[in-house]
Amino acid sequence: MSNSASMSAAIAAHRFGLGEASLDAVGADPQQWLAAQIGPADAPRGDALLNTAQALAFVAAEREQRRAVKNPPEGMTAEQAAAQAVGARYREVAVADARSRLLTAATTTRPFAERLQWFWANHFTVSLAKGSTRGLVGAFERDAIRPNIAGSFEQLLLASTTHPAMLRYLDNFQSAGPHSQIVGRAARRAARTDESPRLTGLNENLAREVLELHTLGAESARGPNPAYAQADVTQFARVLTGWRVGYQDVDPARNFDPAWHDPGTKTLLGKTYPQGPDALRMVLHDLALHPATARFVATKLARHFVADDPPPALVDRLAATYLRGGAQLAPVYRELIASPEAWSPQAMKLKTPEEFVISSVRVLRLNPRVFDRADAKSAAQSAASIATLGQRPQAAPSPAGWSDRAEDWLGPDAVWKRVEWSTRTADRLGTSIDARALAAQSLGPLLSVDTRTQLDRAADGSQALALLLMAPEFQRR
Amino acid sequence: MNPSFNSTRRRMLAGALGAAALSPVSTLSFAGTAAGPANGNRFVFVILRGGLDGLSAVPAVGDPEFAGARGQLAQFGSAPLALDNTFALHPNLAQLHAMYGRGEMAVVHAVGLPYRDRSHFDAQQVLESGGARPYELTTGWLGRALARSGSKSLALNTAVPLVLRGPGVVDTWAPSTLPDPGADLVARLGRMYANDPALATALERAKALHFDNMMPTETAGDAMKSGPRAGGNFTVLASRAAEFLAAPNGPQAAVLEVSGWDTHANQANPNGPLANYLRQLDTGLAALRDGLTPSGTWNRTVVVVATEFGREVAINGTLGTDHGTGAAAFVLGGAIKGGRVIADWPGLAKRDRNEGRDLKITTDLRGVLKGVLSDHLQVAMQTLNNEVFPGSGSLKTVSLLKA
Repeated sequence: MSNSASMSAAIAAHRFGLGEASLDAVGADPQQWLAAQIGPADAPRGDALLNTAQALAFVAAEREQRRAVKNPPEGMTAEQAAAQAVGARYREVAVADARSRLLTAATTTRPFAERLQWFWANHFTVSLAKGSTRGLVGAFERDAIRPNIAGSFEQLLLASTTHPAMLRYLDNFQSAGPHSQIVGRAARRAARTDESPRLTGLNENLAREVLELHTLGAESARGPNPAYAQADVTQFARVLTGWRVGYQDVDPARNFDPAWHDPGTKTLLGKTYPQGPDALRMVLHDLALHPATARFVATKLARHFVADDPPPALVDRLAATYLRGGAQLAPVYRELIASPEAWSPQAMKLKTPEEFVISSVRVLRLNPRVFDRADAKSAAQSAASIATLGQRPQAAPSPAGWSDRAEDWLGPDAVWKRVEWSTRTADRLGTSIDARALAAQSLGPLLSVDTRTQLDRAADGSQALALLLMAPEFQRR
Repeated sequence: MNPSFNSTRRRMLAGALGAAALSPVSTLSFAGTAAGPANGNRFVFVILRGGLDGLSAVPAVGDPEFAGARGQLAQFGSAPLALDNTFALHPNLAQLHAMYGRGEMAVVHAVGLPYRDRSHFDAQQVLESGGARPYELTTGWLGRALARSGSKSLALNTAVPLVLRGPGVVDTWAPSTLPDPGADLVARLGRMYANDPALATALERAKALHFDNMMPTETAGDAMKSGPRAGGNFTVLASRAAEFLAAPNGPQAAVLEVSGWDTHANQANPNGPLANYLRQLDTGLAALRDGLTPSGTWNRTVVVVATEFGREVAINGTLGTDHGTGAAAFVLGGAIKGGRVIADWPGLAKRDRNEGRDLKITTDLRGVLKGVLSDHLQVAMQTLNNEVFPGSGSLKTVSLLKA
């Protein structure tokens, strides 16, 4: 690293963190500032947060409530009134979850850990875009991701794959072994009643996405020596049968129901696994240690922190560190922050809308009450306004998560909405903040001559602030 | 003032004047560049993300294997709408059925890409890039096709989808709940972006859309709350697309996206997600037609609706379907010779399926797209074979336009 100390501090604060109003927060040794943050993510801030067991109980209770209410308002049937009340309660949970996510990121003193938390929550996407995850998305992030970001990838993978939110999001809770007891029972019942059985077998959605999006990566399945093929997906789906969300009769600690499990051994990726719940842990262990997984994880991490198309030498080193450490993540993070490629003063990455809004809140030192529920409608910093910028928190459009490439966030309309957002935020602050002083304190040597000139010439204080928020060195990191 | 900014400004003024001369009453015009080709033809590409089940949207009810192969998926809430002796439309596609009856809609069945695996993300990359393999090409086929003629295009989304990426000019539009910033601030931003071409270009394009045209100011913000690519606002976006396309100086091409077709579960339910999405698609496409009809633009429009892959023929364990290959596509518009199902039907028996699982692909979607680009947008065949769909020279082109 040949940067000046203040340049390194600015890079640490913005590229690896979530922005700081003053680079004093970083201290004299930026690399040490980051290294000291490696560990589980902060405890989530916020109120009315459900843990996984509470969230499952909530979902189960709402299923009961769905039926009817006794005295529906005029013009509504009892069922409509019930559905409306249930929908409102689910929205409350979603609002509290999103608020907690934003509040924690806006106030943490360990922003590098928080960025890693965001990274993994996006890698293992469960999204509100699918109704079956309702009530569970926040609990997934808090219980499966937060505590596990700096341990082994295997532990993170296991926590994600067996969490009720993931089992529901990717349909595994409905996948039954074609020769399982439950399918046999359904067939016998159907034969008696002369109806088609409701349950007949596999749903391979989770199996495919774990291989393609969470571990080996789709790219590894291309080319002359594919790491996996359709037969592996089907076999893995058989391993996954029985892992489902218990409502009543399943032990919530295991989420495994033997009646749904497909009997017999399963062979995938050239290895045979036994019948029963232990096979999943074994498969995930082997997947975590697979060289394709090392490369996939290394590429994604380097892409997230360094460049859309990361330097191959950096990816090689991260992948090697990953394998050498038996899929332990902390050494990979340490390798990343020790890599000269990660400290180029040229910012290669464009912030996502969520990163942009949170770093604005931190740099402007806005009161975290901006995330309060009462303000959800009006506050420009609310989850709803991040949605208008194109990234509704905890609601990625697909299991692949949000894109980590600038081109996907650089549409003219996307940039325009950031300008609109900056204008509104700056207008509300008026002249209470001196944008020129703030730019120097927050960006340090990253502040360019072009930007400083525009800030100096701004027509008024709020215009200067809007310019600062939209400056290339603030939009990029 | 930055000189490059100045010259862009001049070009925009020239464009705006040109538009005004063509149509003094137009309230929507595109200023950034010259007008599209003289014939004013329009092309709309609708991407159905997630893998539409072609056998639910366009069931082959007359195929003797259909009922047996599909099981509960062969049951519909009400009777499918007949197209010919073999094919019908899902009952929720009533307006598409009416278009079919008027000769404004054709179905291409057992259609697909050169890609044969089952990853959404790879398949969508192929669908949009026009390559033969995932990540072989990093720009979009429509972006490359339009760049040749200097035509403009519009994505009805916050972001630019891959299919439109390329050397040319792409605008994006999505509803907003936020107030417009002042022109002075935007001019200053332009100067601040002197050394950041990516931000400068995006800002310049957005500015042209927002300031130099009388943008519709009422918002449909709530419809966008679920973020880009949500399904619920398709009708809003389709109506807006029609307004842009109908303007004399409007974009030559528009791209819309609808997600939610990945029906691994509960697909057979007549009130389930697939049935709802099909109804939304039907309503949105009808809104597009309605918006383009008064100006006569519909008669100069071709719409292609396609998905990244189809789904397995057989039902899976959860009353849904897992990822497959062969799919169905729709071609709409006043310019096409519709009222027909174009299919080299492979059959549904197990031995006739791809890997014993999926509807076989017998028509290459690129052949359909090449036909439209060549006949309707006058893209030269050589350009299509070499740049737009490289290596597709030997592919049979499907002809869909009126003679």
